[in-house]
Amino acid sequence: MANVQDGAVTRDLPLRGSNNVDAESFDIVATYHRLLKEDPDLTMPMAAIEALIEFLGHSQVKTVYETIDLVKTQSEKLQAAVRNPIALSHGTDLFSQYLIMSLKQPAASSGSGTGAASSKHAPPLDNPHESFEVVRQHLLRNSRLFATRAKNARERIAVHGRKHLHDNTTILTMGGSRVVGNLLGRAAAKHDYGWYTDPPRRFRVLYAVDPALEAESNSVVESLRAQGIQVATIPFTALAYAMAKVDKVIVGAEAVTANGGIISSMGTYSLAVLAKASRKPLYVAAEQHKFGKTFPVDEFDFSFDQGVINFYSNNNKDTKGKEESMPDPIDFTPPELIEAFFADHKVLTPDEVAKEVIDMLM
Amino acid sequence: MSAEQNGAPAEAVPKPTEAPKDAPTETPKQAATNENEKASKEAKSGADSKADKTEPKSSDAAGDKKLTGAELKAKAKAEKAARRAQQKTSKEVAKGEAAVSSSPGQLGPSASEVKSKGKGKDGASAAAAAGRPALPKAPPSAVVTEQKIQIPECFSHLSMARRIPMTQADKDVHPSVLMLGQQMATFTIDESITRLKATMLAFRKVIESYITPPGNVLARHFTPHVLNIQIEYLTACRPMCFSMGNAIRWLKLQVSKIDMDASEEQAKKELCQAIDIFIAERITVADEYITEQGAKHIKDGDVVLTYSRNTLVEKAILYAHSTGTKFSVLIVDDPYEQFGQQLAKTLTDEGIKVTYSGDFGGLRNHMRRATKVFFAAEAMFSNGAMYARAGTCDVAMTAHELGKKVIALCETINITERVATDSLTYNEIDPERSSAAAFRLMFDATSDKYISLLVTELGSVQARSAPDLLRKLEEFN
Repeated sequence: MANVQDGAVTRDLPLRGSNNVDAESFDIVATYHRLLKEDPDLTMPMAAIEALIEFLGHSQVKTVYETIDLVKTQSEKLQAAVRNPIALSHGTDLFSQYLIMSLKQPAASSGSGTGAASSKHAPPLDNPHESFEVVRQHLLRNSRLFATRAKNARERIAVHGRKHLHDNTTILTMGGSRVVGNLLGRAAAKHDYGWYTDPPRRFRVLYAVDPALEAESNSVVESLRAQGIQVATIPFTALAYAMAKVDKVIVGAEAVTANGGIISSMGTYSLAVLAKASRKPLYVAAEQHKFGKTFPVDEFDFSFDQGVINFYSNNNKDTKGKEESMPDPIDFTPPELIEAFFADHKVLTPDEVAKEVIDMLM
Repeated sequence: MSAEQNGAPAEAVPKPTEAPKDAPTETPKQAATNENEKASKEAKSGADSKADKTEPKSSDAAGDKKLTGAELKAKAKAEKAARRAQQKTSKEVAKGEAAVSSSPGQLGPSASEVKSKGKGKDGASAAAAAGRPALPKAPPSAVVTEQKIQIPECFSHLSMARRIPMTQADKDVHPSVLMLGQQMATFTIDESITRLKATMLAFRKVIESYITPPGNVLARHFTPHVLNIQIEYLTACRPMCFSMGNAIRWLKLQVSKIDMDASEEQAKKELCQAIDIFIAERITVADEYITEQGAKHIKDGDVVLTYSRNTLVEKAILYAHSTGTKFSVLIVDDPYEQFGQQLAKTLTDEGIKVTYSGDFGGLRNHMRRATKVFFAAEAMFSNGAMYARAGTCDVAMTAHELGKKVIALCETINITERVATDSLTYNEIDPERSSAAAFRLMFDATSDKYISLLVTELGSVQARSAPDLLRKLEEFN
């Protein structure tokens, strides 16, 4: 349905006639889903970026503005096709910002640090069209670079995070996040800095298992136990009960908002509130490419309805299931509840995240 | 405006006990008189400008003939120096062109002026007849040295709008600026962004009609000899708002950037174009974007509470309504200036359900029913404090206390690099309500912790990210 709609939009754009054939035949939504399926380690923003690069490979556009316009259309198409487009939109925003930075002001792109994308960018050129072709070729040749970098980001987060894990502590986590799983696993092993070998950390993990995410949670728990970490699992309902035994809370995030809050799997907010009430610090392990311009003021300030809350009684059953609830519900954890972020470039507070988002994306 | 129209918004008030009784009965009258007054003022200022164009010119000329150009210049310089000395106490004000803005001594109105503003039609015309000849004839800066109303010493740094009869304006003040000054002094043009736009358009006219005197270049002559006079006059009419300060600094920069070798025609054309782009980018498009983004935060079933009336908030509410969102609006009005009634009327006309409260009575109760609170900022300070209509802070604090989200709308041109932690460092005295015994301040500063979200045309950020936006804007330039 979305495809039909957006095809019309694409056709309406002026001056695109001949080039559009490629653009229209390219199914960005399918590509996105294929990429996610092919590589289970790929995050949503990264899959969106890769899909856009693949799209650029198919289109024959010659000018800068045309490209930016088309990337915008495709991003919108992609966002319209999924129910929760937040994480994805952070990827597409980052990519178009990267394009704009490197195409419009070639000189500026190296200095202003467009996050994950810009540091490896081709040398600046004066002629925008020349630089456009360079950037385009560079992107196409290195499309897999994004994915590799994203995986490296997880390792870098693990390095930053281990400094904040101490011996004989208990870490509480939840939600089957790959970043957190990796962070904890790496911390339990020694790390070679080159000039110094950091000994393994001896800590215990308390894993709150959400029934909705049981499969992911169990696989993370199993892999942690396999790495020699003592793990206890508790049901989600026991969070408040167990909080007294916890020293630190670490969670992952689907997306990081412009105010330094996080959008994460449903339940993270409850966990954060409980942690705050018990004065336990909550850390978020999230890659920089998850940062984005989304700024929800409350739990319901999203462009989509999750259909989580449905009132009905037996008297009028027609209202039941009016809106089907989302398969992967999310909630928003406000920045006040977050102590710090372990990102791939550094450890930063929510306020610093807000500042970076402004610098990077606005 | 009939009583019925005013009654319309009140129709949605279902609680006779808590809604102030006088809101629907007495206030319409007041609003009506206000309206009349305003209309008469406008008519009057219009008439004034016509009359002034013929009459005062000759007298001005006569007065000025006694002094040669050089003497005039020296005089102006001396005056400026005196003023500077006066201002030395408040250092930050002395910086930049904003320096002209608030020197306490000159800005107090004479008693007759204040009265004329306060008391409707008759008072205004009477004062127009009586007040003008009574005042000495001199450029505005020198005029009102004696102040009948004594503002307590500790508030003497606050300035006040006042009506300067056009005859007393500097002869070089452009007619369009003269008009604008009157409109600002009478609060016909009131909101920060409307004042800014009107100012920029007026300055555009000034540039268009400017002719560089022989032996000068535009880039060097225009700012000190033409632009500053306009600014001085506007400031005397009503203290500049922060956005005007920002825009004027920008305009001066543009003038100074003009190529010395460029022809005058070319230079003027470039400047006018720059102003057009400025208005389009920083005001028109910005407003549109903020309206859309602000409206996105209004969801089905929301009860939006807003304080008094602001164009940007009104636009956002109307936009949300036009996109089919079902919500209702709760207007808490400023008891002194009941602009909320206008808003209520506009919204009910569009079919939005409105509850109206004429003052802060039962504010907590209203707030409990609300889900989101919308404000528009007159200015944002660098520490994230929001400068807005007096009373905003009270509403924001109530909202915060009850856990309601406060959304502030603001164009980035309104962000200033200054800092205010209280409402007294920067403020303005309401000329209609200032007496020796008591006076009313027009604005207050709301701490950033009471603001959940600041919507600007650059994006939605936390209030305390305001300085980051400023830095970002500098990068663009």
